[in-house]
Amino acid sequence: MTTGRFGLALLLGAVAPAAAQSGGATHVLLVTGLSGEPRFAGRFHAAAAAVYDAAKSRWGVADSSLVYLAEDPAQDPARIRGKATRDGIAAALGALARRSAPGDVVLLLLIGHGSGEGPESRLNLPGPDATAADFREWLKPFAGRMMVLVNASSGSGDFLAALAGPERVVVTATRSALERNESLFAEHFARGLVSEAGDADKDGRVTVLEAFTYARREVAREYETTQRLMTEHAQVSDSVLARTVAFGTAPLPSDPRVAQLIGERRGLEAQVDALRRRKGAMDSLAYERELERLLLDIAAKTAAIHAAEGRKP
Amino acid sequence: MIGSLRAAAPLLLVGLACAGAARQGSDPRGRVRALAEAGRLPEAEAAARAGGPPLAVPLGEVLLLRGRLSAAESSFRAALGAGLPDRRSAEAALAELAERWGDHGEARRRAAALAAQYERDGARWSAEDKTAAARAYVVLGAGDPASVRSALRAFDDAVAADSAAMDPRIRLGDLFLDRYNAPDAKATYELALRFAPDQPRVLLGLAKVAIFEGSGAGEALLRRSLAANPALVPAHVLLGQMHLDAEEYDSAAAAGAHAVAIDSAAVEAWALLGATAWLRGDSAGFSRALGQARRATPKPEGFYSAVAEAAAHHRRYAEAAAFGREGIALDSAAPRALGVTGINELRLGDVAQARVHLERAFALDPYHVWYKNTLDLLDQLRGFRTVETRRFRIVAPAGQADLLVGYLGPLLEEAYDSLSARYQYRPTPPIRIELYDRHADFSVRTAGLTGIGALGVSFGNVLAMDAPSARDLGSFNWGSTAWHELTHAFTLGLSAHRVPRWFSEGLSVLEERRTRRGWGAGPSVEFLATFKGGRLLPVSRLNEGFVRPSHPAELGFSYYQASLLCEMIEADWGPKALVAMLMGYRDGLDTPGVFRSVLSLTPDQLANRFDAWLKGRFRVPLGVIAPWDGKGIPGGEFVELLRTARTQVEQGHPGEARAALERAAALFPGYAGPDAPALELARLARERGDLRGAADALARHNALDESAYAANADEAALREQLGDLAGAAAALERMIWISPYDAGLHARLADLADRLGDFPRALRERRAAIAAGPPDVLEARYQLARALLRAGDAPGARRELLRVLEAAPGFEKAQALLLELRGKAPNGRNS
Repeated sequence: MTTGRFGLALLLGAVAPAAAQSGGATHVLLVTGLSGEPRFAGRFHAAAAAVYDAAKSRWGVADSSLVYLAEDPAQDPARIRGKATRDGIAAALGALARRSAPGDVVLLLLIGHGSGEGPESRLNLPGPDATAADFREWLKPFAGRMMVLVNASSGSGDFLAALAGPERVVVTATRSALERNESLFAEHFARGLVSEAGDADKDGRVTVLEAFTYARREVAREYETTQRLMTEHAQVSDSVLARTVAFGTAPLPSDPRVAQLIGERRGLEAQVDALRRRKGAMDSLAYERELERLLLDIAAKTAAIHAAEGRKP
Repeated sequence: MIGSLRAAAPLLLVGLACAGAARQGSDPRGRVRALAEAGRLPEAEAAARAGGPPLAVPLGEVLLLRGRLSAAESSFRAALGAGLPDRRSAEAALAELAERWGDHGEARRRAAALAAQYERDGARWSAEDKTAAARAYVVLGAGDPASVRSALRAFDDAVAADSAAMDPRIRLGDLFLDRYNAPDAKATYELALRFAPDQPRVLLGLAKVAIFEGSGAGEALLRRSLAANPALVPAHVLLGQMHLDAEEYDSAAAAGAHAVAIDSAAVEAWALLGATAWLRGDSAGFSRALGQARRATPKPEGFYSAVAEAAAHHRRYAEAAAFGREGIALDSAAPRALGVTGINELRLGDVAQARVHLERAFALDPYHVWYKNTLDLLDQLRGFRTVETRRFRIVAPAGQADLLVGYLGPLLEEAYDSLSARYQYRPTPPIRIELYDRHADFSVRTAGLTGIGALGVSFGNVLAMDAPSARDLGSFNWGSTAWHELTHAFTLGLSAHRVPRWFSEGLSVLEERRTRRGWGAGPSVEFLATFKGGRLLPVSRLNEGFVRPSHPAELGFSYYQASLLCEMIEADWGPKALVAMLMGYRDGLDTPGVFRSVLSLTPDQLANRFDAWLKGRFRVPLGVIAPWDGKGIPGGEFVELLRTARTQVEQGHPGEARAALERAAALFPGYAGPDAPALELARLARERGDLRGAADALARHNALDESAYAANADEAALREQLGDLAGAAAALERMIWISPYDAGLHARLADLADRLGDFPRALRERRAAIAAGPPDVLEARYQLARALLRAGDAPGARRELLRVLEAAPGFEKAQALLLELRGKAPNGRNS
């Protein structure tokens, strides 16, 4: 937990945005637990459905690798594959473990109400609940995959300590199991993950850290706007790793001309990054001139890429 | 050090042990005291003298109450010399007397000796002796927080020793109240009252608490106190102060005269007389009162402090600070003088000097809630940002300053031009306006305490108000509030701060109303029903509605009523009459004098004319609203129509409901309450698919209600749907004056403005969207770059784009715009 926050602070320095993931496939399991009230059922589903649609249409996730389990599958049969029971989750994770390969990215998003503490911290489900200890077991077969586990439920904080590890980014909606009031995190995290607003650097991809940062900011704003005491404080286990895992990456182009242009543009972007680091040591006018030159070159490359792809500028 | 002392203040929150029944004076000493408590001072004195030397202490106490300080001192000294059982009370009284005379050294010497005895063997002392020790600690408490805590403990010990003892309970309540700790004072007095329901000093204490809290019950409690003890000088003084606050100078002077007739050495009573004389412009009367105060004490710091407080109550802040400084000159260690000076310097905008005085006051009296709260607030103000406009200095929370100033700056400049033209007066810039994002902070700025109900306050050229975030959405309009407060700066300035409250507030509300459609108070059913029931305050007593409203709604009624009176005067005598009235006050005329000289009417004649005018102005609605005595809910045809409409809706008869609502709206078109006919008509229209009808109904409501956030949002959506972009933009604009914090609202208004070709407004809104903290900052800044370009500022657009792309080089829309800009630049690279 502490490590995660420390990592986030480090990020305020100058960690270069890594070329996101490994290039492997993406797998998604969405789980919405017991709602308790219709308003929660609606909100949980809206958040999960937004991620489902983005995964299907924009992230290129194969249907067989996109699973949505919910309290009531009849709520949206087109998207929801089954009931969100403890056994159902275990089975879905087992299937994804078999389907995925080392180097793939697996997103596990849990939405609902939580209870319990420590390893017994749980997501409330129809029938027996699923605990953090359960997930620890279920995730063992995912070695070598980049696992992103987002527990966006209330009282989810203890999942972080129970599940954090290498090749794994754990995000929780709260910083402890004791923050059990209704949580706003899920809907903001989902929005951050699937909307342009979450894409802080406007590179067309949303990293886990971008979505997390967006959600944390918007949750705080909502509490402030409604003049309520903030009762949830989201946390991330490894902010450096979270910055390298992105969703929405466009597939590599098949046209070698386009691939070359994209490569050249990345080179220019790297130059901008290097220039920014030298900013403090440079004359401001010289910096501005060089920055504009590079940015115009990048813009020209983008225009050329679009032209080569037959897209309108 | 200050911080740690301030943190210690909550220690004051101690409780009192429960006690038994109150004790009557059955022994000779008790009998003297009972007579004194009943206000029968001559009989009490006679009884004390009849008792001979053993009753020296009660005799001294009675003599004190009668203002015969030297004789009292002799009596106390005699008790000490004789070693009487109640000699410790005599010692405490002598210490207090020395303090009263400004001889701090002697006071502290006596008090310290008594406290030392108490600390040695006080555990075995009687309740009266323990009370004496507590009194000694109170004397030592100036500048010594530990002594204040000791006083609290000793009072508690006294009560524990004799649960029926009233004196320690009352003095404990007074100790709390002297430090503006009304909640603990109230709890203490209320507990005491259980044992002695008619104890006059307890009733007086509760009256002070009630006035302090603005509960409206103060006067009745005070009258009960005086009925129980007609010779209770502090009660007469308080009554006089209430009269003074209501600008009833004759009554105030009478109360003061009554008080000094009982106790010619009562400095507070002389201060009341002095303040009354000063406010009337009677310098000879003021000098006489000051001279009498000097006879009572060689250093009448308290006189100056009390006059300063009275001056501040009449919004004469500069003079209040000056009186306070006179007090400091007499006694530089007097917390009250230091405090009143600092508070009023703060009201005048001299923050640095105010802090100096308040910190000294706080160091001497660290349990004083007002000083503590105000210093905390000053600490917090360090995190605020100050933005200068042409004639204003706007102080706002750093995170909100850009957003708020973008709207408030132009509004205030517009208001200054408008008001200076109307009143032919120009307050000297800069005018300082502070906006607080927490209502509690604004409240402290205004009254030293949290919890006051007002939205804004004007100290002249210093204004303070709630920022829109300080209250629930839709509870007020921050634009009209700012305009209202700024109007006070004109009316206070033009009248040299002599304008009475009713007139100043009336003009401020009137100015709100003519500034923007829908701003300012409007008529309610309750207001008209109260008028019809003959329960509105008459013109001659309108000020009472502001300073001591008799029921919670009266304050709101008074604001509106005063504005209508101003409206009538302007309509019948012309705008110059209002200015002439302000100048009349400036020249020292009282309200009847102003009416006579400017309007050529007596107050009664004006009241009759106003009554007739109101009946004319609200002729139709008054015909369908029943008279109301304030109990239950008002009745009449209008209310019945609303009720009928509700029933018809519930029963599924929208046509009948609509007919009832349309008739109600026609009968009282100015009504904009939460159940206004237009709101329900809009809903019904939408239900039947009549979007234009719904939009028009909402527009009728929004033209009357300045804080209708949801109704404006609905109207904006409908107008946009109907293709009425200008109408939609106007509704969004109104929403901003209710709450400007929604970045999406600004982006939407920017889009509309752009489509309407109103590029300056689009630009303003793009900036506001960024200041409001949008979820997608880079997108918002990209949109700002576009707006800059559309507004003709290509260099600005380029600068903004470079900043956006510096943060996000891959932002394709921004790249495209940068390329477009290069294409427009004369040299093909940049402009």
